Amino acid sequence: MQELLGRIARLDPSASLGLRVIACFDELMVGNVNTRALLAAAASLAGCVAGFRSEVSGRTVRIDPRGHHADGVLPDVLPDFRQDASDGLTVWLERYGERQPNDAIVLERLALAIRIRHGRGRRSDHRRDLSLLLDREVDVQARCVSAITLGLRPGSRYRVVCAPLFAVWPEHPQGPEDVVPTRFGAIHALVLPDGDHAVSAAPSGVGVATEVEDLHHSFRTALVALRLCDPPAVGSVLADDFGGLIGLLADAPDGSFQPDVALIDTVMTHAWGAETLAAVVRSHSLRQAARAAGVHHSTMQSRLETVTATLGFDPFDGYGRTRLGTAYLVWRLRHSRVLDLPAPTTAP
Amino acid sequence: MTAEVQPVARPPFDAELRAGLAVVGGMFPPTITPDLIDFMRTSYAAPPIDDLLLAKDIVCTDDVVVAPDGHEVVVSVLRPKDVTSERPGVVYAHSGGLMFGDRFSGIDLVLDWVSDFGAVLVTVEYRLAPEHPHPFPFDDMYAALDAAASRAGEWGLRRDRLLVAGASAGGGLAAGLALAARDRDGPALRGQVLDYPMLDDRCVTASTHQFDGVGVWDRVSNETGWTALLGSARGTQEVSPYAAPARATDLSGLPPAFIDVGAAEIFRDEAIAYADAIWHAGGDAELHVWSGAFHACDIFAAHTAVGRAMIRARNGWVERIIAD
Repeated sequence: MQELLGRIARLDPSASLGLRVIACFDELMVGNVNTRALLAAAASLAGCVAGFRSEVSGRTVRIDPRGHHADGVLPDVLPDFRQDASDGLTVWLERYGERQPNDAIVLERLALAIRIRHGRGRRSDHRRDLSLLLDREVDVQARCVSAITLGLRPGSRYRVVCAPLFAVWPEHPQGPEDVVPTRFGAIHALVLPDGDHAVSAAPSGVGVATEVEDLHHSFRTALVALRLCDPPAVGSVLADDFGGLIGLLADAPDGSFQPDVALIDTVMTHAWGAETLAAVVRSHSLRQAARAAGVHHSTMQSRLETVTATLGFDPFDGYGRTRLGTAYLVWRLRHSRVLDLPAPTTAP
Repeated sequence: MTAEVQPVARPPFDAELRAGLAVVGGMFPPTITPDLIDFMRTSYAAPPIDDLLLAKDIVCTDDVVVAPDGHEVVVSVLRPKDVTSERPGVVYAHSGGLMFGDRFSGIDLVLDWVSDFGAVLVTVEYRLAPEHPHPFPFDDMYAALDAAASRAGEWGLRRDRLLVAGASAGGGLAAGLALAARDRDGPALRGQVLDYPMLDDRCVTASTHQFDGVGVWDRVSNETGWTALLGSARGTQEVSPYAAPARATDLSGLPPAFIDVGAAEIFRDEAIAYADAIWHAGGDAELHVWSGAFHACDIFAAHTAVGRAMIRARNGWVERIIAD
C-alpha cells in the first residue's frame, strides 16, 4: 500500500495521506484484527518490516510488506522508529534510511492499535482530541481541554467542515483536522476560524459558527449540510443557508415518525416530482415555480394540484410552506447518496 | 411508517480489506464513469519495475508480434536470469477494465511464477478501449499467444507447457484465448488462470447489483468498461464469446481452469457460473470464492490474510500445472 499512497500523492499533492493512514487503522481497530494483521498493514503502508515485542510473553513478531513473517534475526532498530505501545509492549519499523513522510503516523497508529488489541486501556480513553471536542456527551471541561490542545482559543468562534475521505480538495485550508467516526462511517472533520468558511472541497458541509464548547453543534450541522450536497451541481453546502432549521434537522432522531415525509415519497414517484418540489420550495408563487422548473405555468398548475391532493395541504399557503420545506429536507437527508459517492473527478 | 432507504443487502468486506479500501479508494474510485478514464490511465499506470526485476533476478526483453490488422503489439518476455533451457510459458493479459493499465499492471504476483517455478512470462501491451474496441484487444492477445507457440524456441519456452492467465479484464481475455485456441486448433494449452474474470457484458447478475458505489469496480464501472469495448452491441446477441466468454454456449474441450473471485464483488456470480458451465461440459475447473474479498484485493492488499490465501492457492495450482 506504500506504493498506492505514492500514487495518491502524485495524483493530488495536497491529499492528506496521514488521514488515510488513520482511517485505515481505525477500520482495523473496529474490525478487532490480530497482531499480525496490524503489523502487516503497518509494513505494507511503510514499505518495510514492522515488528512487535511483548516482554510478558517473550513473543516477537516481525512482518514484511507482503504480510509474511520476516526472515532472519532481529536487527538493531533505530530509536526513531521504535515506540512503546504500553508497559512491556513495543512496536517498531525496520527502517534504515531516511525517515519517510508517513513513518511517524504509521508508528503512532500501530502503537495505539496494538495497545487496544492487547487490552491495555479502553478504546474510549484513547479517542483523539477532535473526536472528544465534537462529542456533546463528553464533559464540557474535557472538551475545552481538547480544544486548547488543538490550538483553539476559548471565546473565539469556529466552524467545523465535514467531508468524506474521498472528497476532492482543490485548496486545503489549515486547521485542526482528523477522521471522526460517525454513524455514516469515517468522516473527515476540519475546524476553521469563523469568517474563513468558503470551502472548495467537494463534497463538503460547513457547519454554523460557534464557540469551542458548542463545536459539537457545528459538527452536527456540518454533517447535515454535507448530506444535503448533490455533486457535481452542489459540491458544498453552508449550514447557515438553512438558519435554525438545520439545527432541528441535526437533532431530529433517526427514523423519527414523519408523516409528511412519507407523503413526499409518494410525490417523488412521479417523474416530475423531484424537479417540481425543488422549484416550489425556492419560489413564492406558482408562476415563479414554473419559471424555476422551466415548464409552462399550466403544467406547473396541474402538477401542484396533484401535489396538494397528495400532501393534503397547499404548499404555498401559511404553514404549508414550512411543512413542505421541512419534509423536503428530511426526505433529501434520508435519500442522500453523497457519502456513497466515489472519488476524484479531477483530471490528472 | 416512514420510508427509510434500505441499503442493499450484500456480503461484508473482511476487516483488513475494509481498512485497505481507505487507501485504495484514493487511486481507484469505486465508480468509474467514462469521464474518469483519463484519470484512471494515470492512476493505474504501473510503476517502474526495474528494481523489482533486479531483486528477483529476472531478465526482461521487449519484442513485437503482429496483429491481424498489421499493428505491432509490444510484448515483454520475462525469464529467470541465467536460465538457458526451455521453460514453461505463460501468456499474460493485464487488468484495467479494458480501458487502462499496461503490461506491467499487477505484475508482482505473476512474477512469483518466474522466480519460484522458472516460468517464462509473456506479458502483452494489448490495445485499449474505447479507442480500440473489440476485436483489437482480443486479436492482440491472440497474436501474442500464437507467437508464444510459433517462436517458442526463440523466446526459450516449452510449447508443450503453455498457460494463459489474466486478471479482471485480462481474465476475460485469457478465457477468450482458451476458447479461440480450441476453435482455431491453435496452441495447445495446459491451463487457464482466470482471476476474478470479467466475462459477461450483460451486467445483470445479482452480485452486479449488490456493489454500487463501494469497493473496487462496481456496476457502473463494469458498464463503462463493456460499453467501451462493445459500443452499442453491448448486451445484444451480436456479442462474440471471444469478447465476453460468458456468451460461449460450448465449454467442452477447454484446458483446466483455475478461477478465483471475491464473495464481495460484482464478478462473483459470473465466475461461479463459468466454472459451473465448464463442469457441466465435462471439463476441469478449480473454483475459489474468497469470503470478504473485494475485486482484485490480492493486487491492492497482498499483505492481508485473505490476499495471502488467494495468492497461495493460485500459486499452488500453477505449480502443479507447470513446474518441473
